[in-house]
Amino acid sequence: MLSFSAYFFINTVFVLLVSPFFLGLIKKVKAYMQRRHGPPLLQPYYQLGKLLKKETVYSVHSSFISRVAPYLNLIFLLAASLCVPVIFVPAANFGMGNVILFLYLMVMAKFFMALMGLDTGSTFGGMGSSREMTISALFEPIVILVVAALALVLQTADIHEMFLITLNSSVLSNSILLLTSVALFVVLIVETSRIPVDNPETHLELTMVHEAMILESSGPNLALMELSHAVKNTLLMALLINILIPWGLAPSLTLPGCITAALAFLVKGIVLAVIVGVFESLMAKSRLFNLRTLFMLAFSLAFVTIVFELLL
Amino acid sequence: MAEYLTISCLIDRLAAFFIFIVSVVSISVAIYSLHYIEESSSGLRRNLFVPFMNVFILSMILFIASDNAFSQLIFWELMSLTSFLLVMYHYEREETRKSGLFYFVMTQMSTVFLMLAIIIIFIATGSFNLTSFNTLSPALNAAVFISLLIGFGIKMGIVPFHKWLPYAHSASPSNISALMSGVMIKVAVYGLMRYVLTVLQPESWWGILILIFGTASAFLGVIYALKEHDIKRLLAYHSIENIGIILIGFGLYLIFSQYDLTALAYLSLAASLFHTLNHAVFKSLLFLTAGSVVEETGTRDIEKMGGMVKTMPFTAGLFLIGAVSISALPPLNGFVSELMLFLAFFKSFSIANPYINILLFISLSLFAMTSALAAACFVKAFGIIFLSMPRSEKARQSHEVSRSMLIGPGILALLCIVLGVFSYQIFQFFGYQAPIPNFLGVTLVLVVFMIIVIAVMYRIANRKSREADTWSCGLTSLDSRTEYTASGFSEPILTFFKPIYNTRKSIERNFQDKYRSVFKNGKAEIHVMKVFEEKIYLPIALFIQRVSQKVSDSHNVDMDTFILYSFIMVIILLIVVGWIL
Repeated sequence: MLSFSAYFFINTVFVLLVSPFFLGLIKKVKAYMQRRHGPPLLQPYYQLGKLLKKETVYSVHSSFISRVAPYLNLIFLLAASLCVPVIFVPAANFGMGNVILFLYLMVMAKFFMALMGLDTGSTFGGMGSSREMTISALFEPIVILVVAALALVLQTADIHEMFLITLNSSVLSNSILLLTSVALFVVLIVETSRIPVDNPETHLELTMVHEAMILESSGPNLALMELSHAVKNTLLMALLINILIPWGLAPSLTLPGCITAALAFLVKGIVLAVIVGVFESLMAKSRLFNLRTLFMLAFSLAFVTIVFELLL
Repeated sequence: MAEYLTISCLIDRLAAFFIFIVSVVSISVAIYSLHYIEESSSGLRRNLFVPFMNVFILSMILFIASDNAFSQLIFWELMSLTSFLLVMYHYEREETRKSGLFYFVMTQMSTVFLMLAIIIIFIATGSFNLTSFNTLSPALNAAVFISLLIGFGIKMGIVPFHKWLPYAHSASPSNISALMSGVMIKVAVYGLMRYVLTVLQPESWWGILILIFGTASAFLGVIYALKEHDIKRLLAYHSIENIGIILIGFGLYLIFSQYDLTALAYLSLAASLFHTLNHAVFKSLLFLTAGSVVEETGTRDIEKMGGMVKTMPFTAGLFLIGAVSISALPPLNGFVSELMLFLAFFKSFSIANPYINILLFISLSLFAMTSALAAACFVKAFGIIFLSMPRSEKARQSHEVSRSMLIGPGILALLCIVLGVFSYQIFQFFGYQAPIPNFLGVTLVLVVFMIIVIAVMYRIANRKSREADTWSCGLTSLDSRTEYTASGFSEPILTFFKPIYNTRKSIERNFQDKYRSVFKNGKAEIHVMKVFEEKIYLPIALFIQRVSQKVSDSHNVDMDTFILYSFIMVIILLIVVGWIL
């Protein structure tokens, strides 16, 4: 219980603290790729501070959904953050590590965000919700298959146990995980609304999905939405990192272990964020109806993982 | 003969579980009906409606409690007849008469197949008792199973026997839809489970067949639900989807038992039964609240609703709970049963049979897509009905329904939460150690986070707020015509799944001049083909019509020929009887 309480506190605070940084870093990398200087690395923090100080403007057409959705969004993503250990793995997790629970807590956040898009009566919001739910529905089988592949290879459906297994064996002993990681990377790109699925930079009606849903939120509510998006990004990055290269993650609660783990995660996160930034710069935004290629890629990778694991 | 035709009861745990489902839903529907029937027209019809409804509920309970096939058949038929009469409540409407007849034909076909199965059993064993028949030969065993699957399948509404559900549910009063969708189709599930689990000897292909039917129903059900704008039809298609999910669980149980994977088999059976309960609860909740909305707006078309969260806040809240639950989102009950199915699927790859592996693989992918599509569909349903601006005058003037119409669904909403949050403890209480997370813990975590987030935001964030118009790209004000519509919402999904819907777009354009440059007028239409009706139902119906036309033509003759017919018949009978004796 003590271990879990410490985990509850340390994991949540750490995730909340580093999340905006990774988003800022990705932005910076993209700016460099476009030969710009880009905003400072800590810009997302300033942004959050500024938004928290502003007043909230609600649409006259909006209902309680617009008022509770930002809070629910962050709450569900924070609950999901307990599914993914970033610093150390607690001794007992009371079922909080279940991988399906992790996925559906994120879907729950998405559900309310999509309702918020419809709440104000703005056409952009409706369009964003519609597209987000479409992408989510088409992508769901892939996410589930990737997770099924992980569960099959690592013989558990608990993320905490998965990390302990990858921690205690080198990636070479489960080399099939390299394939799954590519699929997990695609999941990261799609679920965090990045190019080629969505364009986080734009407010152009033709391309925006995630931004369209939160177009009408403002002030502290917008801060909550931005923060939840950053948390989601960190969680999916952590999942990929700790499956593929879990080195440094502390298997139990010790102070030196935690410090090393935090530093190690920061370094690995920075590398992954740079990769994401470069990947985004190299891709072009794809039409909604042309996304099949990317989805099929991830789908077949998960499929191949399962087939190999069954045969070998 | 008479000694066989007895009516007797036996209630074991399986029957008790299903009787519980019937009772819980019926109580809530009864409370809801107190005021609901007040709003509808004539006194005589209302006076008939109430006893029929009670007989309907009673016949369902007695079917479940029946100990022998004969009394089962009687109560099955009673259930079908009373439900038909209830569906025909608004018989003055053309639409209701058509739907009612369609339902009647389908339900009688279901009885025919059940009768066939029961007669085979009777001939083979000489009794109507529902004890295990080791004496049934494999061929008869299979024949009984197939006709039971078709018979109960029609009542459950599995694809391709599902067409009656959207018709009957949309035409009948909402409390009857809630009973039929929440409970009656579960009675058919009970029937199938009763026979397969305790009466017949399951073979390996049964599970595979049920899994295929389940997956097809789940996937196609939600796909068709997405294109519906009639709220009650949309819910009816979701019933098909959820019946599919229940059958997926049951099919997995049969497959796992064949491979002696006991733990997995129990997990899938528990998931299947739990989903039966969950679906009964949240689907009747949704039908009841949808009924209130339909009553207020006078239409079932969600494109004419909108903004009703302000006029009917409690109904909206209850509908939202149902929507979250049916979309399988934590920590409500719908999620728990789907989680159990996912876990069963994840461990199923240990079966060393590549064909079954491939089948499970496809089934898992479609099942995953189903639950995500359901979430999309209910974002659409809740968003278009309750959020943003009213799209019609009636929606603008709607007001909250009376108290009993909130208490009835309120009980069900509470159950949705309790069955989800305490799922782990409930399973434990009944002696099953389910390998699922303790959702009480998950809920606690959520509550703690809620307190922390709200407290922190209260401290650090600016609490001032004001209201302003939605940004409208420079228009002076938005009105309901600029809102996103239900058709617009589901358009991307319809486009992705075009081959399944068989959509046909026809565009007709006329021009002022012969160079086709100045546009005069034109029209564009999108047709969604009714695949099952046009390809399966109608050809069969036409064939039967043609045959009966032939038969009636041959009867339509003068007296002499008719006497000749009778004469030939008597001779045939004499020969047959002489041959047998």
